[in-house]
Amino acid sequence: MRRFEFPRFEFVGRFARNRGALVGAILILGVALMALLAPLFFPVDPLRIVGQPELWPGEDPDFPLGTDSLGRDMLSMIVHGARATLLIGLFASAVATVIGVGVGATAGYFGGWIDEIAMRAAELFQTIPNLIFVLTIVVILGSTLGNIVIAIGIVSWTPIARMTRAEFLALRDREFVQACRSMGMGDFRIIMGEILPNALPPVIVLSSLVVAGAILFESAVSFLGLGDPNVASWGRLVGDGRQLIRSSWYICAIPGVAIMITVLCLNLIGDGLNDALNPKLRDR
Amino acid sequence: MAGELASPAAPRVARGSSRGGAALKLLRRRLIQAVPLLLGVVVINFVLIQLAPGSFLELMTAENQVSDPATIALLRKTYGLDDPVWLQLVKYIWALMRLDFGFSYRQNIPVIDAISVHLPATLLLMLSAITLALAVGVAAGVVASVKVRTFWDSLVSILAMFFFAAPSFWLGIMLIVLFSVKLGWLPVGGMMTIGGTSDGLGAVLDILHHLLLPTLALGLFYAATYTRVMRSSMLEVAQLDFVRTARAKGLSRNRVTISHVLRNALLPVVTILGVQMGTVLAGSVVIESVFSWPGVGSLLFDSVSSRNYPVVLGIMVLGSLVVIAANIAVDLIYMWLDPRIEIR
Repeated sequence: MRRFEFPRFEFVGRFARNRGALVGAILILGVALMALLAPLFFPVDPLRIVGQPELWPGEDPDFPLGTDSLGRDMLSMIVHGARATLLIGLFASAVATVIGVGVGATAGYFGGWIDEIAMRAAELFQTIPNLIFVLTIVVILGSTLGNIVIAIGIVSWTPIARMTRAEFLALRDREFVQACRSMGMGDFRIIMGEILPNALPPVIVLSSLVVAGAILFESAVSFLGLGDPNVASWGRLVGDGRQLIRSSWYICAIPGVAIMITVLCLNLIGDGLNDALNPKLRDR
Repeated sequence: MAGELASPAAPRVARGSSRGGAALKLLRRRLIQAVPLLLGVVVINFVLIQLAPGSFLELMTAENQVSDPATIALLRKTYGLDDPVWLQLVKYIWALMRLDFGFSYRQNIPVIDAISVHLPATLLLMLSAITLALAVGVAAGVVASVKVRTFWDSLVSILAMFFFAAPSFWLGIMLIVLFSVKLGWLPVGGMMTIGGTSDGLGAVLDILHHLLLPTLALGLFYAATYTRVMRSSMLEVAQLDFVRTARAKGLSRNRVTISHVLRNALLPVVTILGVQMGTVLAGSVVIESVFSWPGVGSLLFDSVSSRNYPVVLGIMVLGSLVVIAANIAVDLIYMWLDPRIEIR
């Protein structure tokens, strides 16, 4: 019985040697910390009017990032917005990973007509224009955080399923799996306990990229005004500032930069994980 | 040129006679595969719409202030709302087969007409964004791989990283701020200048003028994707045996790069292009909203918020059709690029 052994120290070393990934990881930690501690730094509701409207960044030392069209503190909104944006990204990616691993593992392990059906389903979900599908789901089922998370998960699982399936195809006839079968171990236990741990590394890499994709999805949904009305995510802030690009374009620019930096860092982390978990590419 | 047979990119001539037949075979197979795919799209969306609270009939009667029960009963009958759900689905699929997408009560025209007014603008935007993405992505990827580990490679990689992370709608707004508001070079939105020239060339130039910013906003993300893929694919192919053979024969470095490496390195880019087609269509819907581009995006928002489900379903089905058609085109390109591929 071979299990995936996580080469911890070596892994951390390899990850840290990729400077981009290290910077990404540190910045993401900063954003996460900011999201966690938001109520500590800015105990006032970020959507409350606290100053003059349309103060440019730097104009008033009380509001380092300025104020929006109503006089709300941009910095406070960005810090609080990090919560919504990160949480939606993480949960949507979790939904996509659960669906993707489930479908991919079943398809790759059993093969045959099950595989055929699963791959046709993946193709189907790749054919439907993804964001249009998300918008439709959200509008029909209601603009709540839960529905947005589920909708994004539903359109993001296909790459994970394909990757998991490929890994399972490669592993299902290996000796250690055959040994388990000959011992009379059930399919479910073999899938979950034996093959899955070995198949996980590339799936983890992909999931971190799906988080980045989910954040972009959510920001587009909120930008279009279909986000949860009670949540001020970064995408919604960009959308709110749209009308004022002639006088105060910074209202749009700042939350967009926040989205870009977060997504960029997640991509860097994904690249770093890929290098660290893929010994084949180690010396590139 | 007998020597060129050594590379996988070369034996185009040898298999020339059977290529047309193979392409037709591929086309037929893909068209047959498209049928269950489209059926799946219809079923999924039909089920989704059944989950919606409140029927579109309620909205419609409220909007037109219809309260007469007899009229409502008549409408229910016309739209087949009293039938069981499965029968409604069968009827819808049957109608689709005759290219009947239903009737849009809001615009008071058939759904297919409502969509086909807007579809060309969306297709134009998609096509121009993909063209830009391929041109920029392939060129930048080649430059980065040829000049690997130099200043140019780093510059290209950093730019690609940024455009890969920037939300397209935000990029669009920033482009508007810079090029329309500050510099005044390009229009803020729309597809044509109102009251502008309508004669041939003038109109085309006017549309191109309006097309530039939305194309950049939508296309640069994909350009970044293709740059990354192209760069690593070029580096990978350059290490293969046939490239060394070509170099050993005395072909110049440029010649090898262009006619041997480039062509084979394009394959992963083409694959990704096919997979992303649905994403491009969906992305164009967002960009349309930023630039008031008169594509299916505005129709979609209007229809979704007014629960005009026949139009929403129609957009989904036609959108998927566009994706399937584009994928078939991509498969044909793939076959042309790599004659080794046997179509399954």
